[in-house]
Amino acid sequence: MSATRGLLTVLIRGRRHGAWLLRAQGGGEARGASPTDDKVASAAIVRASEEPLGTGSDGAAKVQQRPSRACRPHPADASAWPGDGPEDLLTVKDLRVVNARSGRPLVKGVSFAVGRGETVALVGESGSGKSLTAKALMDLVPTGLSCSGSARLLDTDLITAGQRKLRRLRGSGVSLLLQDPFTMLNPLIRVRTVLGETLPASPAGTPRRSRAQVTEEIDRRLAEVGIAMAGAARAYPWELSGGMRQRVGLAAAIAKEPVLLIADEPTTALDATTQREVLRLLRRIQRSHGMGLLLITHDLQVAFAMSDRVLVISDGELVEQGEPQELIENPQTEYTKQLLAAELPLHHRRQELLSRGATAEVTEHSTVDPSERSSPATGDSAAEALTMPDSSALLRVRGLKKTFTPSHGREVWALQGIDMDLRHGRSVGVIGESGSGKTTLARCLLGLETPTSGTIEADSIRLDLPGPRSRQRSARARELIQCVFQDPYSSLNPSHRVGYILGEAIRLRTDGRVAAKEVKSEASRLLAQVGLPASLLDRRPPTLSGGQRQRIAVARALAMRPRVLVCDEPVAALDFSVQAQVLQVLRDVQTSGVSLLLITHDLTVARQMTDELVVLHRGEVVERGLTAEVIDHPQHEYTQRLIAAVPTGSPDWLAER
Amino acid sequence: MSLQFLAPKPSAGPRRIRSERPTALVLLSLCCLAALAMAALLGRRLAPTDPARQNLSESGLPPGSAHLLGTDSFGRDILSRVLVGARPALEGPCIVALCATAAAVVLGLLAGFRGGWIEAVIMRAADMVLALPALLVVIVTVGLFTGGYWLAVVMLIVLTAPSGTRVIRSAVLAQRTLPYIEAARTVGVTNRRLMFVHILPNISATVVASLLLDFVGSLIALSSLSFLGLGSPPGTPDWGKMLVENRGLLEQNPSAAVAPAVLLIVAAFSMTVLGDWAYSRLEEGKNVRD
Repeated sequence: MSATRGLLTVLIRGRRHGAWLLRAQGGGEARGASPTDDKVASAAIVRASEEPLGTGSDGAAKVQQRPSRACRPHPADASAWPGDGPEDLLTVKDLRVVNARSGRPLVKGVSFAVGRGETVALVGESGSGKSLTAKALMDLVPTGLSCSGSARLLDTDLITAGQRKLRRLRGSGVSLLLQDPFTMLNPLIRVRTVLGETLPASPAGTPRRSRAQVTEEIDRRLAEVGIAMAGAARAYPWELSGGMRQRVGLAAAIAKEPVLLIADEPTTALDATTQREVLRLLRRIQRSHGMGLLLITHDLQVAFAMSDRVLVISDGELVEQGEPQELIENPQTEYTKQLLAAELPLHHRRQELLSRGATAEVTEHSTVDPSERSSPATGDSAAEALTMPDSSALLRVRGLKKTFTPSHGREVWALQGIDMDLRHGRSVGVIGESGSGKTTLARCLLGLETPTSGTIEADSIRLDLPGPRSRQRSARARELIQCVFQDPYSSLNPSHRVGYILGEAIRLRTDGRVAAKEVKSEASRLLAQVGLPASLLDRRPPTLSGGQRQRIAVARALAMRPRVLVCDEPVAALDFSVQAQVLQVLRDVQTSGVSLLLITHDLTVARQMTDELVVLHRGEVVERGLTAEVIDHPQHEYTQRLIAAVPTGSPDWLAER
Repeated sequence: MSLQFLAPKPSAGPRRIRSERPTALVLLSLCCLAALAMAALLGRRLAPTDPARQNLSESGLPPGSAHLLGTDSFGRDILSRVLVGARPALEGPCIVALCATAAAVVLGLLAGFRGGWIEAVIMRAADMVLALPALLVVIVTVGLFTGGYWLAVVMLIVLTAPSGTRVIRSAVLAQRTLPYIEAARTVGVTNRRLMFVHILPNISATVVASLLLDFVGSLIALSSLSFLGLGSPPGTPDWGKMLVENRGLLEQNPSAAVAPAVLLIVAAFSMTVLGDWAYSRLEEGKNVRD
């Protein structure tokens, strides 16, 4: 997914990511030959929008083709495609992207069409080829990859057209909105310059726009994307919030009135509430401009809410497509069914996140042996809100404050007096948007930050005292609290083998008093506990998948036999299908008697994992209580807003208020 | 509902190791270095004649069957001298590179990882040393104290270490903020272990590159000193010295001056190629391969 981060290369003069542009302009040699005729003939464009609802076909076909009249085999002659509606804006046919060096296919013959004014969502997990498909359409595939097939937009084949032709088409024909608003705008170029560069040239014969006219036009365009703030045009990108930047990106993308906008994960980097606003805006603009929109996303609910048609892509192949309602009610392929099943519900707690066989890669001793744990599970013995102050709690936080004083500028209050408790064997979720202080709270608990004031007490040990902790005290603190970090790709040392990573933690816990053999057997036991085979002990993290790495991170934390496990966005960097595995492992951990403190922005994750919730807003607790209570009957306005922002998959979710 | 698909697909299993075959240039460099190392270790046994045996009746002979590379003005066999000269030519640079890099690793890790006053002291000291014109300082000191070769080696260690320290410190700074360091801290890993067990393997590419570049730098520096008549005592078969001694023979036996020059160039060039290759191998190996 990170590969999609970049810049609006196409529109903004690529100062920062100029390499992309250069490549796009000189990349002619990377284009592969056109597909052979028989491939063309066998490729099928499936346009589900024209079809009646599928009535349950066998589902064995590779590409789920709904009723047969939808399958329109292409004649070898690409110039006239029968059945091509005049409304078809973009027709992609048998698009392939191949790694030229290894010959590995990354996109394996994708065919679809986008109509005028239609929104089509391309949904898939990371590595499924969805972003590459978009890049191929924009001629932005990284060097070393070659494209073949055809993608016709307004009589131009985007795959084989020359650079000059493509250049004319960019901006006015097709344009791209990228994922990460924080890096796609050059931080040293003012908003008005960005937008000024993207304005279409004045029609021939008319005089050049005066400075005042340009300013007026820029203001009008900013207003269109909902930026009414005075002086926004003169601001630098770094002075704006993520949502504002994404709006500026959108304004630039649509400046030349493209007929097709490709949006690559446009809201993934944004907070939930901002995501909803930006999606609303995107939909409104798409409708008012009558643009075709190809929305690339990993989020099924966003896809369902936004689009007229959803294409599901997996491993470089389209597996299914259809209208959102059809897909939700009657998914035809196993893959789509499984994707839908992996979605976590907000309004009830699933008993099992996964079937047992799927959690574990080893089936023999994969479940936790309760006797290994010193403390038994308590279950849900208490009924009332337990995060309220309670003297018997395992972890007690009182009046916790933390300020950051940057070397320039005002001091920032990250936490403004937090009180909370975590009882034995319970799990508490801390939710809030970015900047609400969730992570600072976790770091204070772990001793990675020293609080400005307030106390943190765990099992009668003070964890908050500044200065170097005494050896025993920090050793005890470590055995009390352990952590699972957000990004499994950087939280494990890439140079060390898994066995070493786990062994180090075990040796540290026991002060090196155990024999190497025992360390190894305990490490394999830990792996089994998180559902991984012992054969991984000799592997290094870079050779493992994200889900495997995160489970190893859990195993490392468990090696210290902690009583509290702090999880900071443990699944935010993982795909949906993998999320469930990791969450199930964490549930098992809680069942075995470890208290969980789960920090997340994702309410569906919090619903599945926690007994109690603490809602943080700007460093303050605005609401707390049992998870079901808080989510089903939110009291505070902020909590209500958070819950409303969870994508529901229904177009009503994006309806204008 | 079965969710078996959630288990990783077989194809998504271990990423295949696609080892990059070394290019012909790298292989050639490796061969050259191996040959030079052989000469350095076994020079005396490989030499056809005693490198110090003079025979004025054979002075300045061009290459021939008796003397493959001819003789110098004292009638000494050039091939033997070149072979025996490999040891002083390579031994010093090896020691300089190893010691300077070892010092740079320790100082760079301390400065980059600990920060604060430790960093300030180390880095300002490094800046001061770097401000000195290295070769000039060595020439003056070695000239003044007539300490010869080993004094030059020690001086070079002191003068080379700071640039390595800088490079390694910046590599450490890039690693220090990564979550795996914090994760290791939360399980109670000591600072020393963090530096040498956790960070060091991740900057190995930089360390190796710095090691090889230091070698090349000091190889050239030491031969320049010999060329100037400093360093190794007169009479030793030293490549730099041979260059200057046999300049006058270019008409009669050009190989007497060209052979040591070519060997110097080959040694420096092969080491640079190898350093480049090792760096890129280690960098990608860190991220993908097992």
